[in-house]
Amino acid sequence: MNFSIMFDKNKCRGCTNCMKRCPTEAIRLIDGKAFIHTSKCIHCGECVKVCPYNAYTPESIEWYDKMHDSSYKYKIAIPSTTLYGQFPRGTDICKVQNSILKLGFDYVYDASWAAELSARAIRLKIDAEKTVRPYISTNCPAAVRLIKNRYPSLMDNLILIREPMEIAAMLSRERARNKYNLKDEEIGVFYISPCPAKLLAVTNPIGDYKASVDWVIPLNTIFGELYREVIREDNMTCSYPSLSGMKWAVAGGQSKNVGLNNYIAVNGMENIIEILEEIENGKLSDIDYVETLACVNGCVGGTFNVVNPFIATGNINYISNSLEDDCMNPDIDRFEKMYESGIFHYKLKEEDSLNKLNLKEAVEKNEKIKEIYDKLPGLDCGSCGAPTCLAHAEDVYNNESQFYDCVVLKVKNKQEE
Amino acid sequence: MADRLLKRYSYNVSANDFTAAGKGSSSIKNNLKSLGIDANIIRKIAIISYEAEINIVIHSYGGKLHCDIYENKIVIISEDTGPGIKDVDMAMREGFSTASDNIRELGFGAGMGLPNIKRYSDQLEIKSDNDGTAITVTICL
Repeated sequence: MNFSIMFDKNKCRGCTNCMKRCPTEAIRLIDGKAFIHTSKCIHCGECVKVCPYNAYTPESIEWYDKMHDSSYKYKIAIPSTTLYGQFPRGTDICKVQNSILKLGFDYVYDASWAAELSARAIRLKIDAEKTVRPYISTNCPAAVRLIKNRYPSLMDNLILIREPMEIAAMLSRERARNKYNLKDEEIGVFYISPCPAKLLAVTNPIGDYKASVDWVIPLNTIFGELYREVIREDNMTCSYPSLSGMKWAVAGGQSKNVGLNNYIAVNGMENIIEILEEIENGKLSDIDYVETLACVNGCVGGTFNVVNPFIATGNINYISNSLEDDCMNPDIDRFEKMYESGIFHYKLKEEDSLNKLNLKEAVEKNEKIKEIYDKLPGLDCGSCGAPTCLAHAEDVYNNESQFYDCVVLKVKNKQEE
Repeated sequence: MADRLLKRYSYNVSANDFTAAGKGSSSIKNNLKSLGIDANIIRKIAIISYEAEINIVIHSYGGKLHCDIYENKIVIISEDTGPGIKDVDMAMREGFSTASDNIRELGFGAGMGLPNIKRYSDQLEIKSDNDGTAITVTICL
């Protein structure tokens, strides 16, 4: 499972919407159909959201088969914080975790519980280390990969505190190992995800560690069954999410949970890009923390959610305003010990640096690309199959497309003949 | 051979145009990224060229921003026509600013422009008189 977004060629009409929306220019049209260059894809899901023909769908891992046919003796579910925003108002939220168990899991570790822990760790790091400003959040894998891809100089600003998903997986795994004397491979950890990028965070984390999550279940593929269970559930033993941790689902909630005052919470790809440009220009160094979430309104805007991000935001606020926060996190009391042991921290994985051109060759290459670019009409219409004229010029230089794939020039050329 | 100019990128910068301010330095940054220059060098140059560009916008009657690429260094040159810097030593002090209140209200003119440029440069040369200012900043590769 290395790729989270499935693409149906038959549904694609080559409309260019996804290609023009893609923040890393990873999409081209080849023979009139969209094609994702996986090496550039940051799994943000913008293409899934924008496609008018539903050609993109989340890869549905056969989670049901995975769970029932697998050799796992103990199965742990980690529901994302956005899950609670998906149910109609008035749903007994305390039944959700029990209902997840009914689907065949042995234990639920709520992501909101782990969010409480991550929030405390983030706070300690911000307070202790004043040399880096602003710190940038690392829980949104799409935003982190956008930075890696387009703003590599800002990698040093990433806070590098493990995200709630990973913390939840580590702690629940440890608990299962100790309590039932299980080996790691006998424990299966399933994250119920609002977002395709989380899959990438599991298969290819930016940190130098192996992820503790085994499988990522797209939230929308499990929600129907789960909701039926929630309605049916009559077990009155309740289990609640942490309300302040649950707010991580909504933009700004993380910063509030961390207890920050001097922060910026930015959501949505275009908005993130603007803020990252500012930071790269040396601005915002008086800000402690910049929370960057790729989706509109934060994780509730993720592709795999069921309801509209604004409705989900309303639902989450409704829940947290109508319930008392009663943190059931089984690990909160040993936070300080865990922090000292260093489990929240990680280092970036060493990357093989690409074989670099020398500067002279790079300048020559750019000049040639510019020569091609100057002949193009500059309409950025996308008809050639590249998102911009500049991207087309680069593709032509790299022999990946033909100069006269440009529809405008082709027509002009014909008229002149 | 190492000090042969490989390429010059140039941008016009207009006085008092705060909407366009930052476009030139942004283009410089993107050009350097496409050349595969090291991220830490790009960050230094981004800050230097942004501050230099803003200085032209705030203090001059308009000017140009150049980015010269050599094999072993990158040089940012800002040239403007305008009243010049009255006291260069004072201008190098952190927090010293001659920007008007109007400009400060826009979030500029904090007195960090030249100090920041100096901080991230390997070599800095300022020539200024009543007709304008030329700043040459070298960053070694």
